[in-house]
Amino acid sequence: MNDTVPPPPSPDAKAADVPELPRPRVVQARRWHVSLVWLVPAVAIAIAASMLVRSVFLSGPRIEIEFASADGVEAGKTDVRYKEVVIGKVTAVSLRDDRKRVVASVQLDRSAARFAVEDTTFWVVRPRIGTAGVSGLGTLLSGSFIGSDGGVSSNDRYAFVGLEAAPFLLRGEPGTAYELRADDLGSLDVGSPVYYKRARVGRVVGYTLDPVRDALSIKLFVEAPFQSLVTRDVHFWNASGIDLSVNASGLTLNTQTLTSVLAGGLAFERPPGTTRGPAAPENAVFTLYTDRRSALAPPDGPAVTLRMVFDSSVRGLVEGAAIDLLGIEIGRVRSVALEYDGQRKRFPVEVTADVHPLRLGPVRSALLRDARGGTDADVIRRLIGNGLRAQLRTGNLLTGQLYIALDFIPGAGRSAPAAPDGFVAMPTVPGTLSELQPQIADIVQRVSKIPFEEIGKDLRGTLARASQAIGQLTPEAQKALAEVQRTLNRAQASLESLDRNVTDPNASVQRNLDETLQELQRTSRSLRVLSDYLQQHPESILRGKPADRPLPQR
Amino acid sequence: MSEASVSAEPARLLGCESCGLVAVDLTGAGAEEPLQHCRRCGHALRAQKPFAVQRTWACVVAAAVLYVPANVLPIMVTTNALQREEHTLLGGIRDLWIEGSWMLSIIVFIASIAVPVFKIGVLGLLAWTVQRAPDWRRLERARLYRLIETVGHWSMLDVFVVILLAATVRFGPLASVEPGSALLSFAAVVVLTLFATWSFDPRLIWRGADATPSRAEAVA
Repeated sequence: MNDTVPPPPSPDAKAADVPELPRPRVVQARRWHVSLVWLVPAVAIAIAASMLVRSVFLSGPRIEIEFASADGVEAGKTDVRYKEVVIGKVTAVSLRDDRKRVVASVQLDRSAARFAVEDTTFWVVRPRIGTAGVSGLGTLLSGSFIGSDGGVSSNDRYAFVGLEAAPFLLRGEPGTAYELRADDLGSLDVGSPVYYKRARVGRVVGYTLDPVRDALSIKLFVEAPFQSLVTRDVHFWNASGIDLSVNASGLTLNTQTLTSVLAGGLAFERPPGTTRGPAAPENAVFTLYTDRRSALAPPDGPAVTLRMVFDSSVRGLVEGAAIDLLGIEIGRVRSVALEYDGQRKRFPVEVTADVHPLRLGPVRSALLRDARGGTDADVIRRLIGNGLRAQLRTGNLLTGQLYIALDFIPGAGRSAPAAPDGFVAMPTVPGTLSELQPQIADIVQRVSKIPFEEIGKDLRGTLARASQAIGQLTPEAQKALAEVQRTLNRAQASLESLDRNVTDPNASVQRNLDETLQELQRTSRSLRVLSDYLQQHPESILRGKPADRPLPQR
Repeated sequence: MSEASVSAEPARLLGCESCGLVAVDLTGAGAEEPLQHCRRCGHALRAQKPFAVQRTWACVVAAAVLYVPANVLPIMVTTNALQREEHTLLGGIRDLWIEGSWMLSIIVFIASIAVPVFKIGVLGLLAWTVQRAPDWRRLERARLYRLIETVGHWSMLDVFVVILLAATVRFGPLASVEPGSALLSFAAVVVLTLFATWSFDPRLIWRGADATPSRAEAVA
């Protein structure tokens, strides 16, 4: 800076001891009484305060959730999530004072402050392998988390009781719930899928078995936007498992998707031929059918119970076997039971079956019109009077399954056997096979009655006698043969002379015949000339032949 | 022992810290405090560092303040395919301890907790004693100062570990490590304690001390 050396100040006593030492330059400097360095802690305080304030103000309310067990819930690690978004964190896990429950303290985020209201629910999400599939798989590695369903209440709440399992219906989830009346739950479970045309559209959210009314009702939820597919006329059926049936029509295998095969499921569809109506209202009640066929079958209407008695074996006729009217399946066998007929000392088989005349379609109404106000049973009785009979027939040769065919058998009587009240007695005729069986047996029996042994003996004696008779005949036969030879020789000679006189061209008969034929030919030719002429000149019959026209003069 | 008792300051002499040239101290000669420079090498000559205690106090206070968010806030955020975890310093040490990596846990504890706390405490103590109890255990205080000067920068270990992890562990959604907001505070704590150590002048410990040989000399 300033190179000019200022005049040395008067050295004090101590400096005088070292007079040869160089003197430093002196530069005037401004003097700070309070160092600027105090800005550093000021800035530090500001930064730290802002960081802490931010972290304090960013955190929302603290809530406490009670659980039965803290399995998988760890302080400082377990998140609280809503729709997989982290909205808070467990800060501490402790036992309740009575040691029966566990209390998890949760620090909610600032943005999730509105979750601390009355109707919010919490539950622990753990990996779960159930019939409805594997869920919460992510938690296998990440650890459990606490799921939540945000409430809408405006009343604050800071202590909650956690659910033991996730609720199956989240608040505000778009879709519609319905109810099913079922006889049997099958392999359905909460969470089982609901299919429409094999596409998943919903799930089972719960079922209740009413022990008082003995009624099973299944609650299902169809997610938006598919609820419009659920119209009043759809039919639900249990699509669980594999529907493998062997019946008179052969082997039938019917399944839904593989998931529903393993885990069960429901399916619904409109019966064919129906038009799509308005959507069913929320909580509409439907009937759950056991399988697709029964669900989509046309409505059966009231059943008429038939009672049939067969004298032959009914092996191959099972409960549920078809009742078939001219090829149309109109009912099913309800029961097959053995009876005892004391008079005939026989064991007839009694078969009861339900037939649904509604399946006949328009024919039924025509028949009812004919019956003039009669019931379905009357209609069937009339048909019996017209010769309708039941007959056991083999539906499937491979499996030996039988079905009962109702058919008009020619020559059947008009009588109908008596039946208890509520039944229509259907007279039976032996089946085609069972009809054949006694006939064949009869034939075999008759054949076995033929005395083949005696016939053989007689035949042998006859043959012996015949050969003896032939032996006696031999000399006369030789004589007769010689005579025949002679006769034949003479016959040959006469034939030769005939040949000579007739067939030879030089024979007189032949020649005369030839001439006669030529004469005849000529005669016919002139006759033709005459007829031609007459055709041209018919007047010549009366006038005679006119004179020839004179030759033209040249 | 009169030669040994000559100390630069009372003798109004100044030693150049850069080239070793000894000069006459002109402090108090003029109306203003002179800013003296070495005649040979131009290095500033001071009997003691200016505002040493003030600066030390400022840095210590700033370090102590920032030490709070450094411990409360997460220092590292690890994200793997399934979750995102925030680790605080103490939480990380506890996790290491629980997992059985006791040695690692102790090392991290010493580097990240013990050393900064020790340094802040020692610097506070040194600054306070210079002002209030200058005669108290000068030799031990000098040794403490040398100790914190030596170990000071090792506290940056944690910062480097986190930065290295954040730079190397980048596997997209599978795994990634991000520095947390506490890292900045922690680094600031370490740097501030370094500054505090640097701005503190150990000569202040010995101001007003007589020239009796220390025990260290006797040991040597």
